[in-house]
Amino acid sequence: MKNRFLLITCLLTASLLSVSTVSAKDLRMAYDADPVTLDIHEQLSGGVLQLSHMSFDPLIRWTKDLAFEPRLATSFQRLNATTVRFNLRKGVKFHSGNMMTAEDFKWTFNRLKESPDFKGIFTNFAALNVVDDHTIDLVTTGPYPLVLHTATYIFPLDSKFYTGTDANGNDKAAIVKNGASFASTHLSGTGPFKIVSREQGVKVVFERFADYWDKKSPGNVDRIVFTPIKDEQTRVAALLSGDVDFIAPVSPNDFDQIRASSNSELITMPGTRIITFQLNQERRPEFRDQRVRMAIVHAVNNDAIVQKIMKGFATTAAQMSPPGYLGHNPKLKPRYDLDLAKKLMKDAGYANGFSVTMMAPNNRYVNDDKIAQAVAAMLSKINIKVDLQTMPKAQYWPSFDDRAADIMMIGWHSDTEDSANFYEFLAMTPDKATGMGAYNSGNYSSSFVDEQTMKANMETDTAKRAEMLQAIETKLFQDAAFIPLHWQNLAWAAHKGVNLDPVINALNFPYLGDLVVK
Amino acid sequence: MPLLSIKNLSIEFPSRYETDYAVEDVSFDLEAGEILGLVGESGAGKSTIGNGIVQLLSPPGRVSRGEIYLNDNKISDFNEQQILKVRGSRVGFIFQDPMTSLNPLFTVENQMVETILTNLDIDDAGEAKKIAIDLLAQVGIPDPEVRIKQFPHQFSGGMRQRVVIAIALSGEPELLIADEPTTALDVSVQDQILSLIRKLCKERQVGCLLVTHDMGVIANITDRVAVMYRGKLVELGSTRQILTAPVHDYTRSLISAVPRSSVRIDRFPLVEYIETTAKGLKQIDVSTHWLGQSKKHSGGENLLEIENLNLSFITQDAILARNRRYLQATSDVNLQIKQGETFGLVGESGSGKSTIARMVAGLQQPDSGSIRFDGVELIGNPNREAVQQIRLQMQMVFQNPYSSLNGRMKVNDIIAEPIRFHRLTPADQVSGIVGDLLDHVGLGRQMGRRYPHEFSGGQRQRISIARALACRPRLLICDEPTSALDVSVQAQILNLLKDLQDELGLTMLFISHDLPVIRQMCDRVAIMRHGRILETADSEAFFETPQNEYSIELLSLMPRFDRIYENEPAAGP
Amino acid sequence: MIQFLIKRVLQAALVMFIISMFCFSIQDSLGDPTREMAAMSMSDAERDNLRERMGLNDSLLVQYGRFVTRALKGDLGTSYFFKEPTLDVILKKLPATLELVIAASFLIITISIPLGVFCAIKPRHWFSRFTMAVSVIGISIPVFLTALGMIFLFSVTLRWMPSFGRGETVQVWGSWSTNFLSWDGFIHIVMPAIALSSIMLPLFIRLVRAEMLEVLSSEYVKFARAKGLSDGPVYLKHALKNTMLPVITVGGVQIGIMVAYTILTESVFQWPGMGFMFLEAVNRSDIPLITAYIMFVGLVFVVVNTLVDLLYGIINPMVDLVGRRQ
Repeated sequence: MKNRFLLITCLLTASLLSVSTVSAKDLRMAYDADPVTLDIHEQLSGGVLQLSHMSFDPLIRWTKDLAFEPRLATSFQRLNATTVRFNLRKGVKFHSGNMMTAEDFKWTFNRLKESPDFKGIFTNFAALNVVDDHTIDLVTTGPYPLVLHTATYIFPLDSKFYTGTDANGNDKAAIVKNGASFASTHLSGTGPFKIVSREQGVKVVFERFADYWDKKSPGNVDRIVFTPIKDEQTRVAALLSGDVDFIAPVSPNDFDQIRASSNSELITMPGTRIITFQLNQERRPEFRDQRVRMAIVHAVNNDAIVQKIMKGFATTAAQMSPPGYLGHNPKLKPRYDLDLAKKLMKDAGYANGFSVTMMAPNNRYVNDDKIAQAVAAMLSKINIKVDLQTMPKAQYWPSFDDRAADIMMIGWHSDTEDSANFYEFLAMTPDKATGMGAYNSGNYSSSFVDEQTMKANMETDTAKRAEMLQAIETKLFQDAAFIPLHWQNLAWAAHKGVNLDPVINALNFPYLGDLVVK
Repeated sequence: MPLLSIKNLSIEFPSRYETDYAVEDVSFDLEAGEILGLVGESGAGKSTIGNGIVQLLSPPGRVSRGEIYLNDNKISDFNEQQILKVRGSRVGFIFQDPMTSLNPLFTVENQMVETILTNLDIDDAGEAKKIAIDLLAQVGIPDPEVRIKQFPHQFSGGMRQRVVIAIALSGEPELLIADEPTTALDVSVQDQILSLIRKLCKERQVGCLLVTHDMGVIANITDRVAVMYRGKLVELGSTRQILTAPVHDYTRSLISAVPRSSVRIDRFPLVEYIETTAKGLKQIDVSTHWLGQSKKHSGGENLLEIENLNLSFITQDAILARNRRYLQATSDVNLQIKQGETFGLVGESGSGKSTIARMVAGLQQPDSGSIRFDGVELIGNPNREAVQQIRLQMQMVFQNPYSSLNGRMKVNDIIAEPIRFHRLTPADQVSGIVGDLLDHVGLGRQMGRRYPHEFSGGQRQRISIARALACRPRLLICDEPTSALDVSVQAQILNLLKDLQDELGLTMLFISHDLPVIRQMCDRVAIMRHGRILETADSEAFFETPQNEYSIELLSLMPRFDRIYENEPAAGP
Repeated sequence: MIQFLIKRVLQAALVMFIISMFCFSIQDSLGDPTREMAAMSMSDAERDNLRERMGLNDSLLVQYGRFVTRALKGDLGTSYFFKEPTLDVILKKLPATLELVIAASFLIITISIPLGVFCAIKPRHWFSRFTMAVSVIGISIPVFLTALGMIFLFSVTLRWMPSFGRGETVQVWGSWSTNFLSWDGFIHIVMPAIALSSIMLPLFIRLVRAEMLEVLSSEYVKFARAKGLSDGPVYLKHALKNTMLPVITVGGVQIGIMVAYTILTESVFQWPGMGFMFLEAVNRSDIPLITAYIMFVGLVFVVVNTLVDLLYGIINPMVDLVGRRQ
């Protein structure tokens, strides 16, 4: 009773506070790029997900500590091995004025199953069934542990708004990747911000949606002027000069400057994107020898890379899964040991080393080319001569697809925020038919990893699943299946009045609807 | 009281290392209406005096000593403001090249009116224009009202020089300084311009200081002559006295070096006063030397035969052929050059004589016609090898010795290049032959290690000749080989060419606009105009009894050394 | 005149044809555009599907044939990123770049001519020596350094100037909105214009100086002095106009080149023009836009050259381009 009273007081105070700060606040923000499209099903990318969280709402969303928080669903419960029921929030309006119903979810789900980018995430889903106007069932093809993870991708679209044909007679619902479409230039969601104007590559202006359902949100930003600023130094300068209030991403090179400034602050957070090198066993017989791979892993001082090159802006990794993921095994530690590495090379019969080629992008990951240079230098200590080639990402991906070098860099972020995604793409035996191992350029192959991953994808018991995933991680570790480097951190910077900390998360989509600006 | 009085004038060009005295202790007077010739070779300081009078010396030059009086005003003491009022209004200037002394971007009207407004007490541009038109009429420009609106490039060279004279006179000056006023002009135009200057000076009682290197000009126009040598005035006297009875050694050697148009002489007297050739040169016996071992003559009287040679240039291009405009550079040219003779090609600029030389040398393809060398057809001959061999036997000496030598190569390499390229001798003999060549043209083999810029114009022309000889040619094509040279140097080069011809049995195609030079050098002559050959004759016959009307006119206009201008007594002392 | 223009039009067509062939032949090394358009996790089958729909699986010859057919109808393809006809994208970005180039050219002209002339007239003056020394340094400082230096001094430290973008522009006509009609627009263009001009300015000062020195030593300048003209008319009338002839030829072409230099300046200042657009297009492997931009720049070069020739013809009476009768 006493607790409840306290809670009410707190809520009251909070709402009073929020009322007192409701006076219109503008937020001028600059990212490195603006969203490519307004059609959130057209492309699965960070920019589009950030837009999704500004102008739409998901069924449920991640909290800062990677738990689930209901949004358009008020509650959810598992009905059986293949069905999860979601009870929907009532009285939610789209920007167009249409009321949100369960039909909108069904429509959205079907569209997601059509989207080339998103259909992969929804492969295990059979249907979204409408129970009544405010109740839906998500049905999977078999037992599937990641229903809630996937539900974070379900942002209902205004089905009435997107139905019909546009002025040119084209279907408004069409997902068009290479050309204009109704959905890529028009938007109606339930989210906190409507789009007022948009000049692609120059500026997007958002305005708070007056009928936004979440009246409890403390957010007081009335208008957002979103400008892409590509050059990282210009972005920082724009913040420091007061031309914008909030920027992301921030390069480690600029941290000191922001920390030194009196009006701005820097917020960093461990991220979940793993950076690795893969050793191509198909191109190089030497890499088929576990001792050679092990030697290379021991020769790479990834802690030094994090300290020297990343300036501490990364977390040294020994596995793929970051802390907080089910598959993360805290026992697996970075294992730099040059003497052991040399011994392993000698045992394998390569005391005199050999020459290899290496490729890395130079504008995809933070300091990617410098990292590659450092690794190449480290490998020379165990007599592996590296012929390194770095290139822009536009040229890198075709080369990666061709497996054009013996050692290639790959970074990965799990779309589902789950360990299995890593294994599916990076560690499982490449298979054109199933699409597994699509980014396993090393051709590492382990039947244990293949089988366990598939099993884990059907295991709904979290504890059992964690055990399976950690076993896979351990196997990869023992096999030295790849060279782990680090998880990239995330960084944002804002003026001191912008209370960014509560709304950011490791997934890098700030919940700007809840942002409070002093 | 003389119009212009120069007393003990010295002009120096101080540099970081040494002071160069361009003019030393020169004194002379000039009366109103008198024309005083200031003669000398390049570097004698004659132009410097002209510029020094109105303080137009290019920095760092300055008058270091002496006084200059213009009608009793000591203008050598004038400051910048005062001298501005002298330039243009009291002293008018005529420069050598009318092509460059007018600003190409402004109309004649613009350039004349600004001068009149600056120098006369007139504020009204309309009135100034009237004066300008009047002046143009006076200097003999037809349709002055129309032509005044034109740009300088729309005038011919002679007309341009008339414009320059009109501008020089537009300030109603007391003194006219004419710096080589006719050097860049054809002989027929030269005569007109000189007569005009003479006429205007006498009419207006304007004194004229005429700076020139050309003895013919001196003879034709001046009353008195001052001879300059290396900054010093060596002789001053009446034109007749200087030309007929020079006292100073330099004047004597200078005059002896001038090619006479009246009589042909075998060799020019030695002009060692001016430029001595190197001493201790190795004498080579040409009859046994590599140089003398030219290919055998195949018989036949004519070495070079040109038939119906035609070439036209497009002057205005157009997509449709009928809209194109052409300039007929040569039309139906026929000529034969005999083995061992010197054949002269004469004509004014633009007559097509250089074009013929270029076609013979293969630098230009004719539209039609035939050129046979030693019986071998050069035009359209499918046997490129044979043509190549023939071309080797024809070498060219160009007019400008400054631009025809590669400044980045040593003289040795310049001369050795054709020998090496065509592999004319074993490689180990090349340097010996090059040395012999340098000796033979009077430079000396030790000069081979230098670069062209270290040489004077005459020396460079010797290098050009040595380079031409390196191919052991049978035909030497000389395109105005001495036009850019001083008269004494010219004499040396012409002597050299004559000697070489005698020794090596060379045949020469000698191109020049200078009739006296042609007379001294050539056995036969062809005269060209507008791309056509008007007359071909033996040299002596041509000069004594020209047949063509144009030839007669040209010869009559030739400034003649022996026709000293004397119709009224000079006003001088 | 008409002949001259017809020739230039043919020349432009040829230039653009060659550029388009070149762009197609290097297409493969420009990267895979589907990578920028789709998620990393998209399956190979879907990716191939997308390539098929975009026509990227056809042979280069077929693709080029399609391109030429469309180009002849005025369609240079659709940008993958902007999802609009590339020509529309370029024309939308053109005003920003053009204004930047105009502003920079204005700076170059108004600064380089007086300075160059002064340095030629008074070569030994301390200010001339100072200018020449600074211009040597100027030539060797890269544009992005100048730009960043200015941003950190004037935007971050002093907070006098905005750090990026075009600011508030005033719409003039169609998609043309200008920086020159509002104060905010004006102060936004100042630093980018200075940065852009900083490469060319030292070059132009030296060019004007060198040409002026040459003209000053010419016969007609000497003759002008001999006519009694004072320094004013000699320098400003006779010498300057002749100096401008080569400056226009070289300068005009340089200003054309400046369109290409805007790439650096625009990306540092986030200036929404063609240069920045091109850089992004390269990063995104937006091949139709890359092709169209390079063709457009080729056209710009031909147009600039034509204008320069026309201007030269107007100033120089010896050139008869505009059909002036002799």
